[in-house]
Amino acid sequence: MGIRVTGPTLEDLFKNAAQSLMEIIIKKRPAGKRSLFSLSVTGDDLPDLMVRWLGEILYLFEGDSKVVMDMDIDAVTETRIDATVHTVPFNPTLHEVVTEIKAVTYHRIEVVREKDGWQATVIFDL
Amino acid sequence: MNISLEKIDDYRWLIPQTGAMHVPGLVFANRELIRSIQEDQSLTQVVNVAMLPGIVGHSLAMPDIHWGYGFPIGGVAAFDMDEGIVSPGGVGYDINCGCRLMTTLLRGDDIHPFMKEKDLVSALFRNIPSGVGSRSPIHLSRSEENQVAVMGAEWAVKRGLGTPRDLERTEDHGAMEGADPSVLSERAIKRGHDQLGTLGSGNHFVEIQVVDQIFDPEKARQFHLFEGQVTVFIHTGSRGFGHQICDDFLKEMSKSAHSGHASFELPDRQLACAPLTSDLGRRYLAAMACAANYAWANRQILMHWTMEIFLKTLSLRPEELGMNLLYDVCHNIAKKELHQVSGKATMVCVHRKGATRALPPGHPLLPQVYRPTGQPVLIPGDMGTHSYVLAGAPGAMERSFGSSCHGAGRVLSRTQAVKQAKGRAIHRELEDRGIFVQSRGIRTLKEEMPEAYKDISQVVDVVVGANLATKVARVRPLGVIKG
Repeated sequence: MGIRVTGPTLEDLFKNAAQSLMEIIIKKRPAGKRSLFSLSVTGDDLPDLMVRWLGEILYLFEGDSKVVMDMDIDAVTETRIDATVHTVPFNPTLHEVVTEIKAVTYHRIEVVREKDGWQATVIFDL
Repeated sequence: MNISLEKIDDYRWLIPQTGAMHVPGLVFANRELIRSIQEDQSLTQVVNVAMLPGIVGHSLAMPDIHWGYGFPIGGVAAFDMDEGIVSPGGVGYDINCGCRLMTTLLRGDDIHPFMKEKDLVSALFRNIPSGVGSRSPIHLSRSEENQVAVMGAEWAVKRGLGTPRDLERTEDHGAMEGADPSVLSERAIKRGHDQLGTLGSGNHFVEIQVVDQIFDPEKARQFHLFEGQVTVFIHTGSRGFGHQICDDFLKEMSKSAHSGHASFELPDRQLACAPLTSDLGRRYLAAMACAANYAWANRQILMHWTMEIFLKTLSLRPEELGMNLLYDVCHNIAKKELHQVSGKATMVCVHRKGATRALPPGHPLLPQVYRPTGQPVLIPGDMGTHSYVLAGAPGAMERSFGSSCHGAGRVLSRTQAVKQAKGRAIHRELEDRGIFVQSRGIRTLKEEMPEAYKDISQVVDVVVGANLATKVARVRPLGVIKG
């Protein structure tokens, strides 16, 4: 399974990709007690940065049992992204998990500039 | 990419060595399977693997091959220990995903009332942690997790969750050498602490079966298999622990390649790798061994709990149930093994991703009990169809670095399967055929429906035709639990 997301800016692209990832995992995301924290990720290039960024979002859920509800992208370049991430604790009675994503892969990873902005294609291991 | 194929015989097809390939490719398939194999990218991936440094022999494809991340699933490749590489993509995210088969003294009729009323399936479903986000009643401390990573299945046996006999009947005795927990990331440790003793989701399962055909009466007798017998298959791996380890090292190897340490260009980022002689390569193997051992401990624990559930639900004494491990195999692993390369006995690193080791009779790595027969090779079918018990044959050592297929192989992606299953009640379709299924995820049943997979009997026929293994018995499902 994968996603193809677009965004007029790189900030929108990375935000849309993260939100798409969470929407695949969890169907219902009601609000809970929110936490905010800073997340910075570096990569070798844009495709690598996208895989690592989504890998961090996935780890928040898989490793820390935190559901990412929203985020503000503070800055993004071709090799670094800084964001403020809004999370709530994972609650199995409130959050309906639809699909288990085991990893974000490099398979056919693509981040390209289009006429109206950016497009990314990412494949997940289920 | 159009990959040209040359037929060698009814079961083998050669991809000639061209361009940047260091060796030719070799696909085990019949005429019908080769057509479906050509429809996805798996042959391109076989060619990509052939470009990796230090590969020896052939870049191999089993008959259940389909596209994967980097290496195809159903791919086997061996690398020279001095010149070659190790690649996490050649093992897979689910390190030591594998299966074990347990025999019993029961016949299908003995448990029919408990299947009809779904007592046994429900009891397994309630008591075996499975599904997305499932947590185990076992919560490991840091030092316990380190012990599991080194001891593997023995860790469980020492806690009364099995016997030493089980270890003898597990590949590598249930623990790979060289595991080193000090190379693991905090994230891997964290993900492993409460998943030991969980089934997982997707194509992982516990299946109750009955032996419906014996092909080799003598080997079946030595495997303690008989027609009409109840058997149980468990299929699972190293859970989030293994996934995190694969992810950690893929990223580190990818970074290393980008910073110019690689002397060649990767045809696919997912093939990120490191020389076997490098510190990074050695650390990956040490971490991979930790994950492999975790998976063996996992399957050992799940087997013990399954036995307890059978005893309680059927109100039997252990000697009446007689549940014993036939064998446990891994099908996602990299191993240092001795093989003939250009006529010389050579230590190589064999990557099996969605492929099963298949050692012939007499092989020194086999436990004494299986030296006369060859290694039991367990081939689980997809949900709702047959599974097979094979025995390793000499052709495997000659042709496939001691390897065989691992299952049926997907023909539909999970997304395609869900689309095709729209409007269908898969569990009801299976029930109409006498197979009772309980799954935590409705989507899982659709993703795993029988049409999503190749015809396993064809896959097995190719393996047998190519003399990689021989048929011993076939089992059919009675009940399944899935995550």
